[in-house]
Amino acid sequence: MRVLLFGVIAEKAGSESIEVNATSMASLRETLRSRIDGFDALSYAIAVNRRIVKDDMTFAGSEEIAVLPPFAGG
Amino acid sequence: MSETKAHKVKDIFVEGPIPPNLIATSIAKHATRTDIGAHEIFLGQVRADVRDGRLTADNRLPTTVAAIEYTTYRDMALERMTSIREEAFTRWPSMTCLHVHHSLGTIKAGELCFMVFASAPHRQGAREAVAWVVDRIKTELPIFGKEIYIDDTHQWKHNDLRDSGSSPA
Repeated sequence: MRVLLFGVIAEKAGSESIEVNATSMASLRETLRSRIDGFDALSYAIAVNRRIVKDDMTFAGSEEIAVLPPFAGG
Repeated sequence: MSETKAHKVKDIFVEGPIPPNLIATSIAKHATRTDIGAHEIFLGQVRADVRDGRLTADNRLPTTVAAIEYTTYRDMALERMTSIREEAFTRWPSMTCLHVHHSLGTIKAGELCFMVFASAPHRQGAREAVAWVVDRIKTELPIFGKEIYIDDTHQWKHNDLRDSGSSPA
C-alpha cells in the first residue's frame, strides 16, 4: 500500500509517499522505523481514511494511510 | 450570499499570502446582509521570531524567521474544516456566515497567512465563534509549516496552544 508522508517526515524519507506491505498499525510503525532514518525521534500521528487512529487495527489494504507530523496551521 | 450557512466542502486554501484587500472586499460583500450587526476577524501574520541558528565552535548564532512554507494534507484538512464549520454553526446558531482562508506555499514575515471571518447579528456570538474556530484549526487541521531562516537553515514549526499568549478559554 502507498503511505502518504508530510512535512518533516517526507523530508526525512526524501519522498512524499512510500510503498509498504503492512497488515496492521503495529507492522506499519515497524516498517516506518526501518525505512525512515531517525523516525523514532519524530512526533507523528497516523491517519486512516483521513482520521487519526491511535489504537492498533488491521488493514484491508484499500485504506488511505498518512503519517502526519505535528500540525502548524495559522 | 451564496456561502451563508452552506455546509458543503469549501476549499479554504489560497496559494501565497492573503492579500490585505481580500479583507476589504470580504467586508464589502456583506453590505447587503442587513441582518448582520457585527463582524469579527482574526488575521494571522508570519512573525520574524528569533531562533537558535547555526552551531559555531563556541555557541549557536541566533537567526530570524524569514518565511514559513506551508503544506497540507488537503483532503483531510478540508474534511476536518467541514466538521469544524458545522459544529460552529451548531454552537452559535445565530452566526450569519463564516469564512476561512489559509495560505499554502512560502509566506514571508509580515505577510498574512490565515483569516477567520465570522458575521452575526450581535458581537458576542461572532467573537466567541472566531476564537473557537481559530483554536480548532490550529490543533486539528493537518497543515505543516517549515520555518525558513535568514541564514537559509530551516526548522519545522509545531503549534502549541500555550504559545497563544494566554490560557486557552
